[in-house]
Amino acid sequence: MAKRIGLFVCWCGSNIGGVIDVPKVVEITKNFPGVAYATDYKYMCSEPGQDTIIKAIKEHNLDRVVVASCTPRLHEPTFRKTIAKAGLNPYMFEMANIREQCTWVHSDDKEGATQKAIALIKRALAKVSRVEPLFESYIPVTKKALVIGGGIAGMQVAIDIADAGHQVILVEREPTIGGKMAMLDKTFPTLDCSA
Amino acid sequence: MVAAAQHPNIQLMTYSEVTEVNGYIGNFEVTIRQKPRYVDHKLCTGCGTCTEKCPTKVPSEYDLGIGNRKCIYINFPQAVPNKPVIDAENCRYFKTGKCGVCKKICPTGAVDFEQKEEFITEKVGAIVMATGFDLFNWEDAYGEYGYGRFKNVITGLHFERMSNASGLTGGKIIRPSDGKEPKSVVFIKCVGSRDEAKGKEYCSRACCMYTAKHAHQVIDKIEGSSAYVFYMDVRTPGKAYDEFYRRTVEEGAQYIRGRVSKIYESGDKLIVMGTDTLLGRPVTVEADLVVLATAMVPSEGSDKIAQLVSCPTDKDGFFAEAHPKLRPVETMTGGLFLAGACQGPRDIPDTVSQASGAAVKVVALLNNDQLATDPMISQIDEKMCSGCLVCKGVCPYKAISEKTITERIGGKPVERVVASVNTGLCQGCGNCTVACRAGAANLKGFTNQQVLAEVDTLCR
Repeated sequence: MAKRIGLFVCWCGSNIGGVIDVPKVVEITKNFPGVAYATDYKYMCSEPGQDTIIKAIKEHNLDRVVVASCTPRLHEPTFRKTIAKAGLNPYMFEMANIREQCTWVHSDDKEGATQKAIALIKRALAKVSRVEPLFESYIPVTKKALVIGGGIAGMQVAIDIADAGHQVILVEREPTIGGKMAMLDKTFPTLDCSA
Repeated sequence: MVAAAQHPNIQLMTYSEVTEVNGYIGNFEVTIRQKPRYVDHKLCTGCGTCTEKCPTKVPSEYDLGIGNRKCIYINFPQAVPNKPVIDAENCRYFKTGKCGVCKKICPTGAVDFEQKEEFITEKVGAIVMATGFDLFNWEDAYGEYGYGRFKNVITGLHFERMSNASGLTGGKIIRPSDGKEPKSVVFIKCVGSRDEAKGKEYCSRACCMYTAKHAHQVIDKIEGSSAYVFYMDVRTPGKAYDEFYRRTVEEGAQYIRGRVSKIYESGDKLIVMGTDTLLGRPVTVEADLVVLATAMVPSEGSDKIAQLVSCPTDKDGFFAEAHPKLRPVETMTGGLFLAGACQGPRDIPDTVSQASGAAVKVVALLNNDQLATDPMISQIDEKMCSGCLVCKGVCPYKAISEKTITERIGGKPVERVVASVNTGLCQGCGNCTVACRAGAANLKGFTNQQVLAEVDTLCR
């Protein structure tokens, strides 16, 4: 079955749109093999931006998606959730980083940056053509925490976790807890007692 | 402290160290070593008779060597737990086989010289690092302040032990050399902090405020005293912080902007030579006591514990957070969180806030009955795997083990070894896929075929 890729190119305001010619990039890349639909939007990660993706998936029967925008470290989880909302497997997705790896570092060469953005999108299209649905597996959780260090930080963490109803083991290497804090006299700025 | 010790959900293990950590998010297995206390805390009532009668005195670590403690001891009166331990290194019984006064005198028979270390194994779902800080070893670096030769040059923590009402001097600020009350006290900030040549590049964040507090305490507690503070900058970004600093200045603390270039002894005084960069001229102050605001550094041994739990560290040895702004209490290792100064220098208010933040992350994790794992992890094609296990050696997460499979070759069952990936431990780094000569290891979501297709496209 032919792949139906949706391509969404983000302006990120002027971060991307102020450097490369986004409409031209869409004009060229929409004709690449497998691309069934391509469009651009000011902020793809915004709610209307995400709605654009969901609507396009349904209307154009898309089965995988490429978003060309920022680093996947920032918004890959966002867009995975977006396409999952439209009924796709969240891993039928690829990002092209045309901001950090393109417009931010090539702002002095607009034409070159536009060409690079097209190349990066081409790469993402090649990848997304070969992705397969992936499924999470599940592991059990032991409902107990270990806190290493019984100073002010460790005691506070332990008390808060314990108050929430979970078991905590608080390990301290010294004979007594309190750490450096217990050694102090009054503490700033309120001058209350530390111990 | 008492709240932590008495909480029904908290199992407190003092005088203990974590020695081994295995497993992964939601399913860690940890080994904890209980060091021998030589006192059975179940029997001990904390009456303190043993401490009173112990004949051997050694310098107290807790009072930073200013005072002494016994060899069966409690660090401070409000200590939790308020029961003693025996320092076997210095104890007369352990050294010579004679003495045993504490054992003879203990009314409940709690002293037990035969106690051995114990190893306890526990299963936990999350680990929080809260290993704190130590002070920068200024004696090794600052020759101009006397390399620690002058008794009356102390650190801020020494000052705390003296001004602490339950400390050695009962809250009286004295000169360590002769026990006299100092009339002129000089404070020097940024000793080891913001000093790339001799110390650390970073700001230790708490020193500006505790120095202001110390100067206030000198003026408040010692009649007719003078407090001088040599500073590079005054950094007071916190609620009610700047007001506190200004109050100290209004009380009469003299802030001098500049560094101290030399300290030397003259009679029973210390002569502090520095520069006032605002006046543009050298200044000399005669002092009875000099207090150094030394930098915070990661606590001793934190490098070892970082290795145990696979916690990355930054260039200064502090534990590294997953993201400085968006994931400040998480680490790159799933299920491992950070609280307090082990992540970087900070004061008590910030530590408490961050600790509560870390607690919420732990609670959010522990509230799940099960966890979804990232499917982008390694998989082994058993048909292609030659069983060389090169992958096992390069895996930083100990996620690969050997597995014996049975194949039918020529109609006969043949057993052979292949690599097998633990889906809970694998973090999807891809090391194994690069190392695998047979091409059997493949990272889901980054398969060799997918990556090659990308490279192909870009090269065309």
